[in-house]
Amino acid sequence: MSLVGLSAGPAPRLALQNLLQDKLRLVLSVVGIALAVMLILFLLGLRAGVFERAKAYLANTPGSVAVLPQGVKSSLAAGSGEYLAAGTAETIARTPGVARTIPVLEARAMPEFHGKKESVLLIGYDPALGGGAWDLAEGREPAADNEIVLDRVLADRHNFAVGDTFEISGLALKVVGLSNGTSSLSGSYVFVRKSLVEKLVLSPGAVSAVLVTASPVTAPEDLATALRQSLPGANVLLKSQVMANDQEIMAGIIDQIIVLMVGAAFIVGALVVGLVLYTATIERRSEYGILKAIGARGGVLYRVTISQAFAAAGLGVLTGIGFAYLMGWLVETFKPQFPVSIEPSAIAITVGAGLLMAMLGALVPARTVVSLAPAEVFRR
Amino acid sequence: MFRLAIKNLTQNKTRLIVSVGGLGLALTLVLFFGAIFDGAMSRLTVYIDNAGADVWVSQDGVRTMHMSASFLPASVTDEVERVPGVKEAVPVLYATDMIQANGKEYISYVFGVPDNAPLGRPGGIVEGAAMPGPGEVIIDHSIAASAGLKVGDEVAVLGQQMKIAGFTSDTSSLVSSVSVVRFEDFAKARGGNQAISFVLVKVSPGESPAVVASRISDSVSGVTVQTRQQFASQERKLVKDMSADIINIMNIAGFLTGLAVVALTVYIATIARRKEYGVLKAMGVRNRLLYLVVLTQALLSVALGLAAGVAITLLLSGLIPRFNESMVLTLSFGSLLRVAVVSVFIAGLAALLPARQLAGLEPVAIIRRG
Repeated sequence: MSLVGLSAGPAPRLALQNLLQDKLRLVLSVVGIALAVMLILFLLGLRAGVFERAKAYLANTPGSVAVLPQGVKSSLAAGSGEYLAAGTAETIARTPGVARTIPVLEARAMPEFHGKKESVLLIGYDPALGGGAWDLAEGREPAADNEIVLDRVLADRHNFAVGDTFEISGLALKVVGLSNGTSSLSGSYVFVRKSLVEKLVLSPGAVSAVLVTASPVTAPEDLATALRQSLPGANVLLKSQVMANDQEIMAGIIDQIIVLMVGAAFIVGALVVGLVLYTATIERRSEYGILKAIGARGGVLYRVTISQAFAAAGLGVLTGIGFAYLMGWLVETFKPQFPVSIEPSAIAITVGAGLLMAMLGALVPARTVVSLAPAEVFRR
Repeated sequence: MFRLAIKNLTQNKTRLIVSVGGLGLALTLVLFFGAIFDGAMSRLTVYIDNAGADVWVSQDGVRTMHMSASFLPASVTDEVERVPGVKEAVPVLYATDMIQANGKEYISYVFGVPDNAPLGRPGGIVEGAAMPGPGEVIIDHSIAASAGLKVGDEVAVLGQQMKIAGFTSDTSSLVSSVSVVRFEDFAKARGGNQAISFVLVKVSPGESPAVVASRISDSVSGVTVQTRQQFASQERKLVKDMSADIINIMNIAGFLTGLAVVALTVYIATIARRKEYGVLKAMGVRNRLLYLVVLTQALLSVALGLAAGVAITLLLSGLIPRFNESMVLTLSFGSLLRVAVVSVFIAGLAALLPARQLAGLEPVAIIRRG
């Protein structure tokens, strides 16, 4: 057999044989890599889910322009007691090019149920103007100040059903509806009439934000410019910009953790690849020695090792993607407050990370193979 | 037996280092996540602990500050002041706000404190004034470090441009920090709203905060009254409740990864010594003893991995705050103990596969195979 010819066909076969010589070891290594990959993909999915839900209210409420109190650039500070000046909503409604306005008043609360604190953001709105739950799973919108629409996940966790009484900030409210897609890592949206929140924050007529829909013939950018001129004491932004600001702020908080954890998971994956390849290489040291003795070049042996690395990492990545979907499904089923959104870009990043893991993991074993002295191997 | 286990593990140093490193990092994932939350917890109640108040009065049903809002009529301060046993009652305003500086935004808990107030003043001043003047703000040093600010620079707080009067330290966490402005500036920024957020109470000497809190609760309507300790404990509970599920999810993922790495390590080490185990079996050594060798290997691997994980976490705890003051990592004994206990289970589980291999080992066949 010409060893020059080993480069094309037999190298991958030899790599596969090396990997398959111990199936249990291969399974363990694939599982190890898969778990690391799963962790990376799951963390990225969790991150995307957090972003998605942080923007959920704005994304699902009509309007292309957001009018916020002066200095407020994101909706994450909503509910902290900063309001638009009196009469702002009326001024907006009178502005040419405005088709619809949705004034909302938000307030944060931290009620406790069954010994567990729950973060909620009360959205106070006028059902006649809009701004309530966009996906009512059950029931109806609040028709009176003592009525509330609860997030369905929050309701399920604490066994609230339509008709039950929900206590918040010293008030007893009747649950009249349950909403979908309104829970997140940082809390749940609940919907009440704006007049109730006004009483809670002791500010009659207060407004946290106004979402403005431009008329069909008005560009949102032009409307925003016009509103900026007529409302010097407010911050007028495109709704998309507010959503981008929300994401940027959330990223500033969670990315610090995610990056470090993804980095650690990546190194674990690379070490597992390295461990398996190194062992497989050492076990076949004499075979490699023979190959070298009969003229196999370093490049061929490199290819064998790299092929093994890619085969192990490839299997690990594929299994890991499956694990991540499974974990995402399990988490969303049993802890639906943590939405996991696995995006194609995250899969692409993970596949790239898997390939990089393989390359890094193959470094030491490849060096071991290439530095083998044939005579030394036979002597041992 | 112990020596045999050590020999098996250390027969190949590179493999040992790689496997201990892999396991160490997997356990680091668990320890690191816990350390972040423990670190955040340690900063969470800094303002409550240092404001000097024995009792906190908030809106009815409001027991926390973090991610909460409290609105009280301004008249509540006078009502509280008249309760026997109350030495001082100070109204403060509070809001979660975005501090904007040099194009960046920072979430901050902003307090509006009356000038000359004996309670609620910013603690831990590291530079500048002890209290903000009109149009001034005191912010945490972490924001200054991140945005490149110095005393005298301007930042946007509550939608107003304010001059930095001083810096505090150790009030920032991953999610926020504490800033203090004058009560009047805060009220003005809110548009003249007459509501206050909390009433901070100092009890008279010799009075019990719990007893005075109970008296306030009985005499003032529409309020929730808590001692400092109760308020701080509610804050800690909040973070614990909110983070428990996500910590559990991360723990499961980290532990499963660690389990796979240990199982792989012990399995590889056992299989590599298959021939020796075959000889031992041929010499009449019982399976139970061989299991013990494998289990000892697993325990040793886990112990080394745990030590590596702790070392990496401690290293990160020392390094990260140098680059980001608001990211504090605290490795608590409770967290360490929990990870250690689960790691022992991991070792036991990881030893199962190789133990099964050993049980099925045929001495003669193994020796013949070489």
